[in-house]
Amino acid sequence: MTEQAFRFGRAGHLVGIAGLPSVVSAQTGIILLNAGLVHRIGPFRLHVAIARRLSARGYPTLRFDLSTLGDSAASDESLPRAQQVRADVADAMDLLGKQAGCTRFVLIGLCSGAENAHLVACSDPRVAGAIFLDGFAYRTPGFLLRHYLPKLANPVRIWRFVHRRLRPSRQVAAPDFGVVAPPLGQVRGELAEMLQRGLKLCFVYSGGTSEYFNHRRQFRECYGAVANHPGTTLEYFKAADHTYILEGDRQQLVDTIERWLLLNLPQVTAGGSA
Amino acid sequence: MIARHDAERPLFFGADQGLFGIYHPPAVPATQAVLLCPPLGQDHIRSHRLYRQLATALAAAGVPALRFDFHGSGDSAGDSTDIRWNRCLADTTAAAAELRQLSGCEHIALFGARLGGSIALAAAANVKPDRIVAWDPVLNGPDYVARLDALQDSLRIDTRRFNQARTAEVAAGQWQGFTVDARLRQQLAELRLEPPAVQVRLIESALPVTTSADRQRFIATGATVTTLSSSTPWEELERLEMAIISHELVQSASGLLREPT
Repeated sequence: MTEQAFRFGRAGHLVGIAGLPSVVSAQTGIILLNAGLVHRIGPFRLHVAIARRLSARGYPTLRFDLSTLGDSAASDESLPRAQQVRADVADAMDLLGKQAGCTRFVLIGLCSGAENAHLVACSDPRVAGAIFLDGFAYRTPGFLLRHYLPKLANPVRIWRFVHRRLRPSRQVAAPDFGVVAPPLGQVRGELAEMLQRGLKLCFVYSGGTSEYFNHRRQFRECYGAVANHPGTTLEYFKAADHTYILEGDRQQLVDTIERWLLLNLPQVTAGGSA
Repeated sequence: MIARHDAERPLFFGADQGLFGIYHPPAVPATQAVLLCPPLGQDHIRSHRLYRQLATALAAAGVPALRFDFHGSGDSAGDSTDIRWNRCLADTTAAAAELRQLSGCEHIALFGARLGGSIALAAAANVKPDRIVAWDPVLNGPDYVARLDALQDSLRIDTRRFNQARTAEVAAGQWQGFTVDARLRQQLAELRLEPPAVQVRLIESALPVTTSADRQRFIATGATVTTLSSSTPWEELERLEMAIISHELVQSASGLLREPT
């Protein structure tokens, strides 16, 4: 496997690193999308770890920066953000198609990256699968029960709650990645449509989502039939934080992604060895 | 003079083509170039945008600049467990040679923040720069190691990050998201930088973490100190994943790096 640096895109404005296995042509390429404002290497270099593991298993990969993020510039097109993202990811798919012969793609994204993966998977027929890390989820009655009941049963927690409300917080606000979830009905419908088109979908939630997701059961509460579809996989790493800051948590995530890909979208290659 | 972003050139270089860098060429031929040495660990990710802004500002002012990632960091080959102090010094030497070749400039200056500044200072003997500008460099290794250990211990029990505090075992051998090899840890624990025989410009954030005795060693040999008007949250748990942004730093460093020798 070799890694090559590219400046690419319709305006030559995008920067990315392609991991190219030693095969002449590989059907499935992997594209990693920015997590928030972190440049293409990902939080704590998560994207580098994922890309290298998958490239070693024969998947061409591309980790790149969307327009205006990381090392990528603006395309000077005045497009709405959603169209910009679709066009940037299309450019990324074109690059992997040209460099490695890929014709179908799996998008991987964390947080705002999951939002962008969803956006592109809705409309681009070349997307064959997506891995949503802390993607959309919605508070359900079950979530609220699991969230508040333990607090009500614990006087110490009630005291802390009241104390926090009475004293001004000095806590620094968490980074705002600008993720605004569309209505549940819309997302549920779009996911169902993706599955109908044959996409494979993997949803991974971390413990960092505890303000809106707190149990595997909640996934079915949110998405109904989508959760039961054979093309859907759900993983929940409750102990991990949102950006997988601990090495062991990160390794568990990378292992999970590798296993899911090999099972759901095994590589089809021509020539050489992966 | 305006540097076009699409002129920035991403590339791999070095003996095994394993080092990643981005070269910022100037619009016209130059006589002096700047090598930007990145910090390590989470400091590297947090200061990525600031380094890009600084490189862009330098190129726009007619000074070519090269940003790069040490072996085992960023987009360069290797894993974080492969990072070693001496390898970082060798990478800096390789990057300086690459910059001299790309720019055609024999005269170069080095810039580095935190451990990037420390590496720039330590690599001076081999790289032979005209000048080093170091922002909040780590001058005292033992203090730095102790502070990062304490920060890691606070991190693992931070219930704003984790649903439940994590054990010391699962957080061991790591500093804020990155596994650290015991040899690098030892190398840093023994680090005590001496002033190099080149012009040194220290930039300090308000409320610097550098102790006065370490600063004095450098000031006594001619280093000048520029103090920024605000502090930089390098070691604040609450801001661990927030970008380091300082227009004042970009302006100050850009000016110091372009001073006539």
